[in-house]
Amino acid sequence: MAIQEKNKLVAVVDDDELMRGALQGMLKSVGLPSQTFASAEEFLNSGQQRQTACLIADIRMPGMSGLELQAQLNAEHCRIPTIFITAHGDTKMRMQALRAGAVEFLAKPFDDEALLGSVRAALEN
Amino acid sequence: MKVLSNLQGYGLAIISCGVALALAGPIDAPSSCFLLAVTVSGLFGGLGPSLLSVALSALAFAYFFLGRPSPPARESTSLLRFAVFLAATLLITVLMEIKRRAEESRSRSEEALRQAHAELAHANRVTTMGELTASLAHEVNQPIAAAVTDANTCLRWLTRDHPDIDEAREAAMRVAKDATRAAEIISKVRQIFKKGAQQRELVDVNEIIREMIVLLRKELSRQSIAVRTELAADLPRLMGDRVQLQQVLMNLMINSIDAMKNVEGKRELTIKSQRAQDEDEQLLVLVSDTGVGLPPQQADHIFNAFFTTKTDGTGMGLRISRSIVESHGGRLWATDNHPRGASFHLTIPTKIEAHE
Repeated sequence: MAIQEKNKLVAVVDDDELMRGALQGMLKSVGLPSQTFASAEEFLNSGQQRQTACLIADIRMPGMSGLELQAQLNAEHCRIPTIFITAHGDTKMRMQALRAGAVEFLAKPFDDEALLGSVRAALEN
Repeated sequence: MKVLSNLQGYGLAIISCGVALALAGPIDAPSSCFLLAVTVSGLFGGLGPSLLSVALSALAFAYFFLGRPSPPARESTSLLRFAVFLAATLLITVLMEIKRRAEESRSRSEEALRQAHAELAHANRVTTMGELTASLAHEVNQPIAAAVTDANTCLRWLTRDHPDIDEAREAAMRVAKDATRAAEIISKVRQIFKKGAQQRELVDVNEIIREMIVLLRKELSRQSIAVRTELAADLPRLMGDRVQLQQVLMNLMINSIDAMKNVEGKRELTIKSQRAQDEDEQLLVLVSDTGVGLPPQQADHIFNAFFTTKTDGTGMGLRISRSIVESHGGRLWATDNHPRGASFHLTIPTKIEAHE
């Protein structure tokens, strides 16, 4: 996928292939370029962190979890507006994510418009 | 009984020998004092401190009490006294050590047994029911979430000012893939309860009933529940999955216990096994209690998935139990008891051909 504007890149990190495809398709339908990663490690090793304007990440993944990814990015002073989507988020997890700077925390299945609204808000800032 | 750290144990040995030495002179009873010192060191310090105190006591005994000038005639008596003293202290040390090891091994096996009890009693409920439900929900939720998103994406392509049919088709194909995955997961779960996945062996139902009673004994006595069994002696064994049948009986018994938790008066769990009266080749097992009974007007629903009357129930126990019984070609149903309580009836054919 062509990256039209480097600073407008949305990164999707989810271990589920169907979910990655669905999110990428959704973003494409509103004209947003995205890149998908099957794991937090893959994203960190890609060197794309600095070009990413918004990160959509799953919480529970094999290997590094979404929350650990967030902590790692914070430690690298790489503050990417992050939206978490999870199948089983409890209040504690949600609070932890938001305290660490997440902009949104959505339960699967999520409302597309809510997710797109958060992505747009993240890109405008 | 290990109450002190190693260092403290050796310290205790030295101190108790010192105290024994200080007391032994004035009251002129060295053997008693040192024996006491060795006993204390062994009891609270362990083997090492105990041996140290034996050595210290022997030194002190020999130096201070046998070293005193004495008439030659008493020389041999003194040596004998010393030898007896030494033998006694060593004996105490050895006995203490044997006792401690026996205690340690007993408490270890008791702990292991207790843990095995607890684990087995909860294995069925927590692991199989709870975690299976949770992970199943997660597995199915994933493709459903993807399908919802893909369907919305498809609509978005179609409802644009200039609809993009190619993109819409791609999104729709993803919806089909998502839904297929969800269906595959469901069908895998179904297979778990099919014959193929079961481990069939000859099973003695009475043996399973007795095992489950043993496992639940603590819980039964904690709830002051009396158990009555009427197990027919000449039951034929049946071909089935032992672990699954254990789960069914465990589940029925736990339900009965839960049903009696908050009732006043007689608490009795009755378990019967017999040949079914009308059909020779069937076994009948009856689990009945004096608990709250079946939910009024909802007796039919108790076997439905997610139906529960417990605050911490998953609503899967009876559903899964019935699936297991049916996969053995049998039936599971419930009736009300008079004056109170519920009975669960379970029939299972003993002939292999009767299986579904």
